[in-house]
Amino acid sequence: MKYQKVGAALASFALAGLLSAPGLALAADDGDTVTIGLLSAFTGPFASFGQLQKEGAVLALEEYGNQVAGKKIEVIYADDQLDNELAVAKAKQLVEQDKVDIITGLVSGDEGLSVGDYMKGKNIPIVPMYAASEDMTMREGDPYIIRPTWTGAQPMDVFGYWLAQDKGYKKIYMIGEDYSYPYNQAGGFKRGFLRGGGEEVTTVWHPVPTSDYSSLIASIPLDQGYDAVLYNGAGSDAVAFVKQFVEFGMQDQIPLLGQSNTFEKPDLDSMPAEIVGSYSAHLTTDDLDTPNWNTFHDAFEKRWGHGPTAASEFAYGSMKMILRAIEALDGDVSDKAALAKAMLAVDLSDEPRGPVSLDDHNAAVQNVYIREVAQNDQGELYNKGLFTAKGVSQFGPYDPALYMSQPADSRSEPAGKRADMPAAMLTVEQDYELVPFGQ
Amino acid sequence: MIQSTRSAWRPERAEHRFGWSLGALVFILMVTLPWYADAYTITTYTRSIYFGFLALSVALLLGQGGMISLTQTIFFGMTGYVIGLLGAERGIAFPWPELAGLLLVVVVAFLFALVLMRTYGLVFLMLSLALGQIGWSFARQNTSLLHGWAGMRGIKPPELFGLDLSVSSHFYWLSLAVFCGALWVLWRIVESRFGLVIRGIRENPRRMSALGYHVFWQRVAIFVVAALFAAVGGILAAWSSGIVTPSTLHLNRMIWVLLVVILGGARYFWGPVLGTVIAVWLDVVISQLTPRYNTVIGIIFVLVILMAPNGLLGLWDSLQARRRRNRPPGSAL
Repeated sequence: MKYQKVGAALASFALAGLLSAPGLALAADDGDTVTIGLLSAFTGPFASFGQLQKEGAVLALEEYGNQVAGKKIEVIYADDQLDNELAVAKAKQLVEQDKVDIITGLVSGDEGLSVGDYMKGKNIPIVPMYAASEDMTMREGDPYIIRPTWTGAQPMDVFGYWLAQDKGYKKIYMIGEDYSYPYNQAGGFKRGFLRGGGEEVTTVWHPVPTSDYSSLIASIPLDQGYDAVLYNGAGSDAVAFVKQFVEFGMQDQIPLLGQSNTFEKPDLDSMPAEIVGSYSAHLTTDDLDTPNWNTFHDAFEKRWGHGPTAASEFAYGSMKMILRAIEALDGDVSDKAALAKAMLAVDLSDEPRGPVSLDDHNAAVQNVYIREVAQNDQGELYNKGLFTAKGVSQFGPYDPALYMSQPADSRSEPAGKRADMPAAMLTVEQDYELVPFGQ
Repeated sequence: MIQSTRSAWRPERAEHRFGWSLGALVFILMVTLPWYADAYTITTYTRSIYFGFLALSVALLLGQGGMISLTQTIFFGMTGYVIGLLGAERGIAFPWPELAGLLLVVVVAFLFALVLMRTYGLVFLMLSLALGQIGWSFARQNTSLLHGWAGMRGIKPPELFGLDLSVSSHFYWLSLAVFCGALWVLWRIVESRFGLVIRGIRENPRRMSALGYHVFWQRVAIFVVAALFAAVGGILAAWSSGIVTPSTLHLNRMIWVLLVVILGGARYFWGPVLGTVIAVWLDVVISQLTPRYNTVIGIIFVLVILMAPNGLLGLWDSLQARRRRNRPPGSAL
């Protein structure tokens, strides 16, 4: 009996302690610290994007010495493995346990929307660094969501318009990954392409991830007058697709195009040199040569031993916007509405990738670069800028109200044929002006 | 380690009093949790509870029936998908989407069981793996209805008895109450004649058949019951996280639950519960300490299972047994 009494007493103390242990709150909120939660995919299929994001954010933090206006900046990195359910669980942890003042990071659009759902009414600013689902700052916009980066459709609308206007393409065959971000990229592309004079965009979707593309590539209809194949996918899928495309000898028969992330580094390093000349569009390009970009590029390379990508530039710029907003408030982030307002007021004209401003829906207005894959003297592939469209908004050249009255992009929306596209979406008052890159 | 067909979940008489007082203490601490713990502790226990249902489902099949089924996450996710489809997307009010989800689970589990219960052992395992993978692939590839990889979002808990379930402490109390009810049902099943028959089939199906029991239908019945436990947990999970994705159904989650059950002790009534609470907290604590948390948690699992093949409760039991052996003869128990 004695043993059991001692055991019971010990067990009850241990239990009470264990049950009430507040999950090891590492960040003590003593008023001298601003806590930022960086929620991203550090493991799983998009781990490389998460890692590049972290590198960009850390560079910005180190420039400030992890300190702003006398406040220590503490960043809590949470890994969601690109799993939307886990992303919500981790967001709960950041909000309830770590009591973060700001949530940032977010790689994929679905991740962003799921976390956005949970964060509704929590009054904590969210700064998506790479999540590009346009509805976060559009149909489901929120004063607490501030996105100084991009939407999926933003660069692709310009890309489609340019291909139709300058290259005279009429028909595009698109093979894409079957989820929301490629839908949004396809949506932007179709609007721009059909408005610019294109006739048809045929879309075929495959599940993520796919490693064998032989049947998809073999079924590309070479005899039906398509001007190019656009691969609307990224990461390991893009590497596998491009390699097999070249193994089939397709690049000699039909030009290959990519979505914004298809030819991004470091994946581009694993692709064959036969794809030199392939076009894509993004908000950065590897041969940018402005003082802001060069300063950033050199600092990044010095710190991490490799060059930056769009993911790291976006993270750097977003984190800098956050830090400047905290600075503008003199370190007092207790009023979250004021914090969100301060972020909107930050001057982003010195962004490394080019000047950025925020529109009425808290989304970025910025340069879009048309690029082609090129090879440098060392034989390395890189993205070479061809044209720049300045001041592109998330609505493209459209009126925001008209744009938002259209159904959200999906695997079948908008229509792929010129005849099926609403007439209002085929004409705009003022379309893009594309200037040669570097001007 | 095969014991008599008597329920191994029934504690030894000598430990009865200790067990009851410990149970009462834990129960009081759990009920009063929202008054002394912080918000995230409550969220974590809510998570433990809904994964606890999944663990109970696996443990019922494994501990009682001796079957390792890799299909349980399908039933867990299925109710969530139905709630998403009918409730979140078509606006049908509680309780119809939830009931429809449970009904669908019963039908699908019955159909699965018709196939699975013709087999035993390794064939059963491989067949259940195949069925589980089919369910997961369907959810991942069906974009028109289930939105593929992105899954269903926008699921909200209903208002029950005037209780606003979007408040985390309310939701926790509801989950705890449902879980206690489920534990009671499970206890009744285990102690019933049906439970005895299932354990009999685990030990020797031929003999049970010779005794006049229809082994096939008894096994079908336990499979459907186990699926319902997972399905109820799935409802709570969908309400709590507001989202269901194919990863909810994925084999990784299934293996995690299997490990959790073995960690706690599959043959013990409280094994799956203890295992789930420990595993959920391990995730929370270790992921804050190192980015390599998956490796660390994996190593912990391996070590525990190597040193305590019957789970933590099995380890506790064997320590007790050793202590009893070491006690000098004649000392009072």
